[in-house]
Amino acid sequence: MVSSFFSDILLHPLGIYVLALGAGFLIPLFDRAHRGSAVLVFFAALAGMVAIAGLNLLAIVNGAPSIDIETAGIAPPFSINLRFGLLEGGFVLAVNTAALLAAWHCLPALRQHASALLLFLIMVMGINGMIMTRDLFNLFIFIEITSIATYALIGMERTGSVLAAGFKYIIATSVATTFFLLGTIFIYYQVGTLNIDDIIVHADLIQGPIGFIATLFVLTSLLIELKPYPANGWGLDVYETAHSGIASLISVGVSAGVFFAIYKVLPLMDSYLTSIAFIGGATFLVSNIIGLKQDNARRLLGYSSIGQMGLLTLALALLLQLEASSQLVLVVGGLFINHMLAKAGLFWLAGIIDRSQLKDWCAIAQRPGLLLLLGIMMAALIGLPPFPGFWAKWQLVMILAEGGQYLWIAVVLIGSLLEAAYLFRWFSHARGTDNNSMGDSSTDEVPPQAVVSLAQQLPVAIATLLLFVIGYVMALAMNIETPGMFLPLLAGFALWLIDGIRGRLKALAMLLVVGAGGYWLTNDLDGINRLFSYLLVGGGLLVSIAVMYRNDDRRGFYPLLAVLLLSLAVLLRAKTSLEFFFGWELMTLSSYLLVTLGRNGVKPALNYLLFSLASAYFILAGFALAYAASGSLLLSDLGNSGDSIGLIFSLLAIGFVIKMGGFGVHIWLPGAYAEADDDFTALLSAVVSKAGIFGLVLIAANLGVQSDIGLDPTYVLGWIGILTATFGALMAVFQEDIKRMVAYSSMGQLGYIVTGIALMSHLGWVSALYMTVNHFLFKGILFLSIAGIVLRTNERMMYKMGGLIKNMPFTFVFTMIAIIAMSGVPPLTGFGGKWMLFNALMDKGWYFIAAFAFFSSAVAFLYMFRLLQTVFLGQRKLEHAQLREAPAILLAPQFIMIAAIMVISAYPRLLLDPLSAAIDPWISNTLVWEGFALQTQYGYWNAPMIMAVVGGVWMVPLIILLLVSLTMKIQKVEQFNIVYAAERPHRPEDTHFAYNFFAHYDRAIGFLVRPRATAFWNAAVEWSHTLASSLRVFYNGNGQTYALFILMYFVAMVLFNGGLGS
Amino acid sequence: MSILADLPISLIVLCSGLGLVLIGLWGMLTQRNMIRMIVGFSLTDTGVHMVMVSIGYVTGGTAPIINDAVPMADAVNRVVDPVPSALVLTAIVIGLGVTAVMLSYAVRIYKARKTLMIDECTESKW
Repeated sequence: MVSSFFSDILLHPLGIYVLALGAGFLIPLFDRAHRGSAVLVFFAALAGMVAIAGLNLLAIVNGAPSIDIETAGIAPPFSINLRFGLLEGGFVLAVNTAALLAAWHCLPALRQHASALLLFLIMVMGINGMIMTRDLFNLFIFIEITSIATYALIGMERTGSVLAAGFKYIIATSVATTFFLLGTIFIYYQVGTLNIDDIIVHADLIQGPIGFIATLFVLTSLLIELKPYPANGWGLDVYETAHSGIASLISVGVSAGVFFAIYKVLPLMDSYLTSIAFIGGATFLVSNIIGLKQDNARRLLGYSSIGQMGLLTLALALLLQLEASSQLVLVVGGLFINHMLAKAGLFWLAGIIDRSQLKDWCAIAQRPGLLLLLGIMMAALIGLPPFPGFWAKWQLVMILAEGGQYLWIAVVLIGSLLEAAYLFRWFSHARGTDNNSMGDSSTDEVPPQAVVSLAQQLPVAIATLLLFVIGYVMALAMNIETPGMFLPLLAGFALWLIDGIRGRLKALAMLLVVGAGGYWLTNDLDGINRLFSYLLVGGGLLVSIAVMYRNDDRRGFYPLLAVLLLSLAVLLRAKTSLEFFFGWELMTLSSYLLVTLGRNGVKPALNYLLFSLASAYFILAGFALAYAASGSLLLSDLGNSGDSIGLIFSLLAIGFVIKMGGFGVHIWLPGAYAEADDDFTALLSAVVSKAGIFGLVLIAANLGVQSDIGLDPTYVLGWIGILTATFGALMAVFQEDIKRMVAYSSMGQLGYIVTGIALMSHLGWVSALYMTVNHFLFKGILFLSIAGIVLRTNERMMYKMGGLIKNMPFTFVFTMIAIIAMSGVPPLTGFGGKWMLFNALMDKGWYFIAAFAFFSSAVAFLYMFRLLQTVFLGQRKLEHAQLREAPAILLAPQFIMIAAIMVISAYPRLLLDPLSAAIDPWISNTLVWEGFALQTQYGYWNAPMIMAVVGGVWMVPLIILLLVSLTMKIQKVEQFNIVYAAERPHRPEDTHFAYNFFAHYDRAIGFLVRPRATAFWNAAVEWSHTLASSLRVFYNGNGQTYALFILMYFVAMVLFNGGLGS
Repeated sequence: MSILADLPISLIVLCSGLGLVLIGLWGMLTQRNMIRMIVGFSLTDTGVHMVMVSIGYVTGGTAPIINDAVPMADAVNRVVDPVPSALVLTAIVIGLGVTAVMLSYAVRIYKARKTLMIDECTESKW
């Protein structure tokens, strides 16, 4: 009896209203006694509203029927009824949970007036009503209840700007609801009922101009409440000025209620679906463009908020149009819950950190916990894994592709990219632009840091937790291999927990975790994936040993590194494009964050992230097209895509080439490589860049082989590769910064690999994979050597070094061997790669490309020579006299890689045979061996013999020189016996021979390497800012202008839908 | 159109209601003084109420009370539709609430910045 009373009466959804209204009466009463007790009643009511929604939803999920609440003792349609079904329950639970957290967030403001507590409850109840009611007029009532409570809560803070914004908000929304009321009454006039279900049944009665106006008024006024562009300036002002808790509830709560109301009346609006999609899409795109120019954090959140609601509207309309309403829960529900938690969390963060200008957000640069929360919210908002938005966006894009809605895919992806641009620009400000992680003598003052208590962070932390949990649940719903996919995050989390212990211990723990996890993820792979797992996971671990050369705190470095390396493993074991994309995005995010940890890494990291995301969106578009064409997510089914194979290949290839820093889209690369932590640069270049190669191999194998179309995309790819190689080498020649130089070199070397893959022949692929392994080895050595040099000299400019051979002999020898291996001269590994590449190019008849390859190989000698000459040879700086050799832990991995280079140089078959076998499933073996010699029609390559010959030839002059130096008296040039000729040094650097080392070449070919690509991308930024300025002219701040826009919106909707005559 | 033929009185109410809506909107868009804008809103609101009442009116109809004078079977043709009247009552209450909030905003804005001109409250923009 008691239990049935409890479950039937108290826990009935109607209890939500009882609680809100009941507490509304109790709060003033308790307030008389004690404010604290009123607050207690307030929270009890809110918690009760959450509990009721949660328990009822749980029952419905477990199979209970949806609950209908009838009133007045008469059955609907003659009385008002409310419904609590699956969708309603989900929305109500989400809104009430957000409201509870928001209430906690703005408690200090709320508890100043007992009436504010009461209004807050009424507002939440109003939203619940908007979601649950099935009566059109009752919907109007709940909208107005919510609105009035909102108006009052906005006015809680009595500064002029809040009040002005609130007044504009009232004017705008009351105009909109006036039209809603008119529409409602006209619908009643025609149908004779206000019950939404009944109206839908008798929708045929809605006709003629009155019916047209009626439905359009109802729809448009609801859309206006969602703040569509350009009739939304009033919303932005409130987002900017109102209390962050109230703004968050308007953004996620009120919007949710209105959005659900639109969903309810949509069955009446079939003919307007195109307009709705258009409004949503335009709002999403334009808000995100304008956001680029916004410097105020809260207003930026406003733009983002409006944009997200636009995306939701777009998704809803398109899904209904494509008759994919079974996906509504996953796509719209996922996007909604994602927006809700992330956006509310950001509003709360903006509230507790309380810095209006983005640049002042460096106030949390020294607060890793807050930065983490901020980063998670932003990552969730733009749909990075593993958050709900990721799965929802993926599914949305797949459905759009199936329906052939390519334009909308472009809108969704471009809008997301723009949103990422301004959100992570904000994150960069928060991260602070100068890290000084090396403990340099920094004179910059650390700006005063924000003081935030744990209690203030609590709602944000809970929202974060919910994002992870819901993301995981959605992953389960998408049928992916969850334990493996989430391992990187789990490992990262575990390492983050022990981030307080000493540096090297953490590094050791990281290596163990990655070793075990990587083995578990990759030990059952075979074929080409297995080969890449040795390179990416095994090689990644090998290079990672070097991270132990630093023993400082490096907060966040090791957890992120574990995420990165394990996400590479996830990438390799991916069977479906979804799993691949998951791993890819995880890799992007973690490597971005790692780059920001570098000394001046924050700005280059932003470039890196944006280009990486653009790359990811090309890949996503490619996968979506493939899914639409083949109906399968399996990577192995990529080839069954019929006619669109060429387009799919191009999209995916563009994505992978961006990630590898291809010609024209390379501008992110030098900055990111140069400014990342020195040991991490080695990983970026030697290991992470191989993920792009793996992607290219994957699509070349699954798509390229079978395609046979007009303009061969592989030929274009071949040219892109070789141009990347040529310009990478040219640009490397003219760098002064050692890391930038080797970064450009890395870009160039990857170009050859791209060309090798593009050849689509057995020899081409073998050469590409061989060069991949080689690139891993020599770039790993070079960047680790550089890490040692930078560690000891604290310099990156080559002209500030010199003569280091005496201090760092091992580093010198390792660098020299790496350079020989890179250059392609006999006898080391580079020779074999180049030799096979040239043979394959000649076979294919790509003579011009071969010529370019020859030219760029020659150019590469210039910078390689400079590296050795200016850093290790010549005069030693006085202050460098006492430098020691690089730490052994840095040298150890280099030594192992040197050994590998030597073994492969002497016995290339050890490497070539497994490579050849891995390629065999796609292209049958064409390598002809005679003993140790590889035969082609142009000649043969006998590696052991070359090794012996070159070794012999090298030994002779060495012995002679040694004898000479022992017998003859050699006068050494001392530090100060430098003679100036007629030239007068303009700057101190000019006196150093290593400065502007290749000035003479600069005069000849320098025009080729003027930063045109950088200029182009800078101009692109300028254009988008200009565009943003012209798009935001509507927001002049005048409430009357905003009201006028709303009226014009109605007129435009009427005209757009064919006018009154239709 | 059926409105023209059957409902001449309610047509007058309907038209004046729509007229009031337009006058009110004109006021809200052209009057910079917030109090005048609120008056405009009030006019619009009243106009909407008149439209609502006119919709439910039946020419020559009587009060919607079913008794001996108006038997159940005949009710549909002889009584005024009670629903719009009920709706209007609710709408009036809500309009009152909104107007009250608007007025209190006007008072507070005047206290905060000593002006009631809407075009002097444009500091949030772009």
